[in-house]
Amino acid sequence: MTSFLAYTVIGIATGCIYALTASGLVVTYTTSGIFNFAHGAIGMLMAFTYWQLTVQQGWPQWLALIVVLGIIAPALGALIQRTLMRRLYGASISTTLVITLGLLLSLIGVATIFWDPGEPRSLPEFFDGHRVKVFSIFVSYHQLTMITVAVLVAIFLRLFLFRTRIGIAMRAVVDDPELAALNGASPDRVAAVSWALGASLAGLAGILLAPLVSLDIILLTLLVINGYAAAMVGRLKSLPLTFVGGLALGLGEAYTIGNLPSNVLNIVKPALPIFFLYAVLLLLPQARLRVGRVVTAHRAPRVASLRESLVAGAGFVAVAAILAAVLSPGDLFTVGQGVVFALIMLSMVLLTGYAGQVSLAQMTFVGVGAFAMGKFFGGGSLLGIIAATVLAGLAGALAALPAIRLQGLYLALSTLAFAQGMSALFFKNANVFGYGGRLVVKRPDILGISFRGDRAFFVLVCITFAACGIGVLALRRGPFGRRLIAMRESPAACATLGLNLTVTKLAVFSLSSAMAGLAGAFYGGLRGQVGLNDFEMLQSLVLLLLVSVAGINTVTGALMGGLTFGLFPKLQRALPGIPSLSFLGAGFGAIALGRNPNGWTSDIGPNIARVRAALRRGPPAADAPETAPEVFVTPHEAVGSAQR
Amino acid sequence: MLSAEAVDVTFGVTNALSEATVAAEAGCVTGLIGPNGAGKTTLFNVITGLQQPTRGRVRIDGEDVTKLKPHLRSRKRVARTFQRLEVFGSLTARENILVAAEIRKRWDSTPEEPRAVADEILERVGLVAVADQPVDAMPTGLARLVELGRALAIRPKLLLLDEPGSGLDPGETLSLGQLLTELAGEGMAILLVEHDVELVMRISREVYVLDFGRVIAQGTPKQVQADRNVQAAYLGAEVPA
Repeated sequence: MTSFLAYTVIGIATGCIYALTASGLVVTYTTSGIFNFAHGAIGMLMAFTYWQLTVQQGWPQWLALIVVLGIIAPALGALIQRTLMRRLYGASISTTLVITLGLLLSLIGVATIFWDPGEPRSLPEFFDGHRVKVFSIFVSYHQLTMITVAVLVAIFLRLFLFRTRIGIAMRAVVDDPELAALNGASPDRVAAVSWALGASLAGLAGILLAPLVSLDIILLTLLVINGYAAAMVGRLKSLPLTFVGGLALGLGEAYTIGNLPSNVLNIVKPALPIFFLYAVLLLLPQARLRVGRVVTAHRAPRVASLRESLVAGAGFVAVAAILAAVLSPGDLFTVGQGVVFALIMLSMVLLTGYAGQVSLAQMTFVGVGAFAMGKFFGGGSLLGIIAATVLAGLAGALAALPAIRLQGLYLALSTLAFAQGMSALFFKNANVFGYGGRLVVKRPDILGISFRGDRAFFVLVCITFAACGIGVLALRRGPFGRRLIAMRESPAACATLGLNLTVTKLAVFSLSSAMAGLAGAFYGGLRGQVGLNDFEMLQSLVLLLLVSVAGINTVTGALMGGLTFGLFPKLQRALPGIPSLSFLGAGFGAIALGRNPNGWTSDIGPNIARVRAALRRGPPAADAPETAPEVFVTPHEAVGSAQR
Repeated sequence: MLSAEAVDVTFGVTNALSEATVAAEAGCVTGLIGPNGAGKTTLFNVITGLQQPTRGRVRIDGEDVTKLKPHLRSRKRVARTFQRLEVFGSLTARENILVAAEIRKRWDSTPEEPRAVADEILERVGLVAVADQPVDAMPTGLARLVELGRALAIRPKLLLLDEPGSGLDPGETLSLGQLLTELAGEGMAILLVEHDVELVMRISREVYVLDFGRVIAQGTPKQVQADRNVQAAYLGAEVPA
């Protein structure tokens, strides 16, 4: 009984934090329609700032709290809204994901510059050491603080949203932004206030949570995933349900921890919130297909014909053969790794670029592929490559299944949960990668030809990329590709033509993850071995952002994105003063360029034309229409929104 | 062909539709008119399954499809267009129609060659000249024709058109009217929502008038035009009870 009570108190206290985090997410989501993946990173940054002011500078707690939660956090939130989110009105779900994920990685990158991740830090509890006996158990003042704060925030939010002018305007904006604007509520100002509020709530949660875990940049950032599940319970709309969800999650977690034997617990514990998120996604009712959205359109790049792609593929392989002959082993590895990353990114072109779905677990599928290649059929056979592809394809279907009938955001969250769950249960499981967490992956012999040498293997990687690139383009030109584009541009119209969206999404998910698994076989083969930390979810984000920046609609974009990422280890060695260079590069790149899905590679053609024209002293050439990157609202969409 | 029976749709406290009963017969155009916000598009969403009604039934060919998912309902040969366009913007007009024909080929027991279907429909709705332009770059009127062509590609028995005439010039409106009359003549049931009342009255055999989610009048164009409730709804005049 005593331990039951103790776990109840722990559960309520952590549940309160989950509720706080989630309520911040809900406030920003409802008023701006943007799910803020950087919510946890904002909380992390605020916790570190608070630590800096109190522990390092010796400020009194109350003053630091006022400065951090009353000034810095709201200012940061409003700044984010003004500079980034305001421009996302009407953007597709994949674009808003890319921008907020870019913010997430940027904030992590910035934090590592100020606070060396290698240095251990801790934040003391509030009223450290004080506790009170309730019935038969001790409750720390910190736990009481957490509970009190959550209750106060709940009361505050209720009063704020129902009694203040701006709060009522926020609720009006949720219902209908255009109508609210007609009645004098500036949606923009409302959004700025909600982002400021959201950032403060994130900061509050971060500061209260940090003493209970360690003050670690990644850990604090990712803890917000626990809040996602709570926010899902409220369907990203209802604050009371969100608080209920937070408490349920906290209590469920505490009771599980209290009742499982410790050997099972060690494996399962990190994945508990993930299970919860999965369960909530499964239980969510199917969302209605929405019609009448105003989606900002981008002119799609022209799709290369079969002839063009065959010629380009042959040229690419020829260049690869030359490079294999002339490059030093070190450079060959760098470029080879870039091409492997490009292959992973190609799987994202298919899924995100064409079909408009987002997976945050591509590296997980790469890991599954590398695992299959290393473990099955003696490690290093053609059968191993096939196993990698098939197994990853199945994993992709499994990742998508809970949310396949839901809309894009939930599907992305489902893959996020899958990635985190796999990381905790599979990759970090001692039975999977063997002793020391390193699995040897051999290179294959195919049809009697050995690809074990560096040069031969490099050419094999490039041939595979070229073949996959040609394949993806062929798919895009065919009926399946057209269906994917159609599904991306109007799921509702597809349904009214008799298309089964669930089957189509599942197919493209499996195909994309199978391609990532294929890349995994080469990823392992190139490196010779893979480790348990190679397939973290954050790596998937870096890849997603870099390919978005380079052009997630095109094979060229994937190739350039992959080669860019392949260069980062070299850059990192040259710039040791900036840890997490890849996070900063991908993050800021995405923030700056992520709104254009055609990417910077789509500018190359028109720019060459422009330079040529300038050299000929002619007038600047007009952009080739099929690759013009400008954002434009189409005439009929403009009319459609004016009609409302 | 179609009957929507006593359909209620409630959003929060407002009734978007109250006991709306509408039928559309094969072989003719049925008009559906009413002021903005009368519930016309909501009724289309209920018929196509994008919106579950709070109460009421939808029957197609006598079969109750109220619980059927949107894509399975379309396979009963129900096609529609959208008031706020839902075209596949980055595809060309031809590809928009082609993809619809290809989707149909996957579920239809009497498939046709999709490319031939696309060619035929482009010709029929008059889009041959712009067939290979991306729909994004087209003016509204043409984009609406693309949606009409796309709907025709599944060879519908019941066609729901949500303001197909807006954005068309008088000449284009005239040919739209002719096309719809022709299609109805071939045996299709067409339910037409249109602001151009003149067009509706000209080509419809029966007209329904919706206001505040209720059917306030129903009958031949002549009967409806003479109806005092209709005049009140449109002109805002008081009608003595």
